[in-house]
Amino acid sequence: MKPRILWISGISCYGNVHSFLTYTNIDIFLDDFEFIYHPVLDSTYTLTQIVEDVKGCDILLIDGAVADDFMRADKSIKNIIQKYASVVNKIITVGTCATFGGIFQHSSYTGASGVHFKADELQSDFLHLRHKTISISGCPIQPEILVNTLYEIKNNMDIKLDSFLRPKEYFGYTIHNGCTRNEYFEYKVDNHNFGELEGCLYYDYGCQAPYSSGSCNKILWNEVNSKTRSGSPCFGCTEYTFPKIGLFETKKNMGIPENLPLGVPKRAYITIAGVAKAFKIDRLNKKLM
Amino acid sequence: MIELIEKIEGEAKLDFRFANDLIDFVEIEFLTARGIENILKNRPAMDALVINPRVCGICGHAHLIATVQALENCYENIEISQKAKIVRELTLNFELIQNHFKWFYLVILPFFGKPQDPKKAVLASSLMAKAIAVLAGQYPHNSYAIVGGITSYITNGDLIKVRSLIDECLMFFHNNLVDADIDEFWICDSIEHIFEKNGDLVDVLMKIIYNNQTDFGKSYDRFIVFGGNSYFKSGKSNKTVVNEHVKFDYVQEELIDKSYAKNVYYKNKSFEVGPLARAMVNKTPLIRDAHRKYGDSIFSRILARMCETAQLLHHSKQLIKMIDQKEPSFIKPKVDIKQISSTGISSVEAARGSLIHNIELIGGNIKNYAIITPTQWNLGCGNKKNLGVAQNAMIGLSSIDEAKLVFKSFDVCSVCTTH
Repeated sequence: MKPRILWISGISCYGNVHSFLTYTNIDIFLDDFEFIYHPVLDSTYTLTQIVEDVKGCDILLIDGAVADDFMRADKSIKNIIQKYASVVNKIITVGTCATFGGIFQHSSYTGASGVHFKADELQSDFLHLRHKTISISGCPIQPEILVNTLYEIKNNMDIKLDSFLRPKEYFGYTIHNGCTRNEYFEYKVDNHNFGELEGCLYYDYGCQAPYSSGSCNKILWNEVNSKTRSGSPCFGCTEYTFPKIGLFETKKNMGIPENLPLGVPKRAYITIAGVAKAFKIDRLNKKLM
Repeated sequence: MIELIEKIEGEAKLDFRFANDLIDFVEIEFLTARGIENILKNRPAMDALVINPRVCGICGHAHLIATVQALENCYENIEISQKAKIVRELTLNFELIQNHFKWFYLVILPFFGKPQDPKKAVLASSLMAKAIAVLAGQYPHNSYAIVGGITSYITNGDLIKVRSLIDECLMFFHNNLVDADIDEFWICDSIEHIFEKNGDLVDVLMKIIYNNQTDFGKSYDRFIVFGGNSYFKSGKSNKTVVNEHVKFDYVQEELIDKSYAKNVYYKNKSFEVGPLARAMVNKTPLIRDAHRKYGDSIFSRILARMCETAQLLHHSKQLIKMIDQKEPSFIKPKVDIKQISSTGISSVEAARGSLIHNIELIGGNIKNYAIITPTQWNLGCGNKKNLGVAQNAMIGLSSIDEAKLVFKSFDVCSVCTTH
């Protein structure tokens, strides 16, 4: 039997829905799974039918932030989640809003938050559901991560999770892994300008890739590119801190970035940066072409 | 009789009143609002380039381009390279195209006896998403357009890749929507020629005629376009009389009691925005011919939107040829945005029509931000004396199913409407 999926949206921009719709093997996916409700695709039931009573369902996908006063088809989103959560085997929070609150924790709804977290603060409403939840953060999600995770659930595969319930297979990396600008970071060549192939955006333009988890530079977006490869900073959209204030700026203390690469102590960073700078690698101070 | 309309990037409630078995009045209510304009307050100006694409998952790129233009409009003088301008226009074109394909295969097709076709919808739209990603990093939700230009360098290989994606998309159009020669289709001035062809679009148009629906969805026959660029002309069209002057000063927003949306008027009147409006102002021969025969009905509205995909693909190929690789992608503004206290306004043509952004900066921070979205123009909810465009278009229909088709022919986006 095909696993039955309910995709329900909280306070959302539908970016996750449309990111999912860039998944190029969608027809194969739709042969293997059944949407009892999806916000765009034809599904077994209407939204009104979905909220009336609980239909048979195996996996619950929630995108968007949740709040006590947010309604979907005149029913509270939190009630809809509670009802379906008790019958499904797995719950996936799809995107950063559903996982950490994201942008829409700042919306006009009272106490808007992610399903389990508001930023890094654990929320109490759904504590009993933590054991069956997987979080896929990202604003938006990478479609391959969602699809792969759904297949992993379908095939009863072992999924290792981090402390925010994110699959380590995709969130065990930093966004920095695989960035084409890595050498400028390693050797501390810090003279970047926008619109150029050369240079690293970590020093002055707010790039959060060295301390944000995700696979943007491993899986690649739309199979071809990433923000950092194309010269935009990583905004840390997979993390509970998203969206920080001053997204194009690197906050520094005495010239040292406040946020250092994940797990690197300040002392070690300063020492290594000093050594790396001393290399003065000519090749990296010239134009690539 | 209240009907919940689903799958429009959220929902809306339509409250139908019937008189003599015909729809006499419809109230449109949008159910949620997220308060994006408040989220922006007091943030550094450039943050809007990251926050605003998140207004909408299907037209977020239009919000990015509108944001960067509003920010640049805060400057007295700012230099943007021709290359950056062209690339921005390309990625915006691609967003419009991906939207239109999804709308046709996911929203429109089921009204004409066929199931949704997610395979075709995703195949075509993901080609365009990929083309955006080549130039801008990713789709949805990139922030590659920044004050002063774009963040990406753009290599020869990037342009070759984008051109091949456009060709693949043109081939999709030819193999699936209308099997006409694209160069012929481009200048075609008679819908009769279209009927000689085959394809999913031809089938839908024939069905509209066969079902006697060519009167469905007629409204005020008044159109407006604000976001002129190298392809779209800005202006307004009253029936077929085109006037190229439009001024922001005449645009007013008005709160609606019940709904979270706000109505918007130009000189106190409702205007239709979107592909049909753009084609009427541009005087696109094929659409003018459809309009001559079937007015501002669903026939013209559906044809205009899908015809626009072919036109934009064709135009985008010309745009690529105009790129001078030697130009910089980014020119650092002479004045840092942190020094700017000023106001800026911008308009771009998004998939569903004119999008207007209005910003006020104090010392480089956002004091106020106001957004008027296309759906506000088309989906306004007025009283009987001053109906919105879609409201007016549903009057006189005999069933809720007919009204749903007319409503969705405007390509409704709930999240944008209330933002």
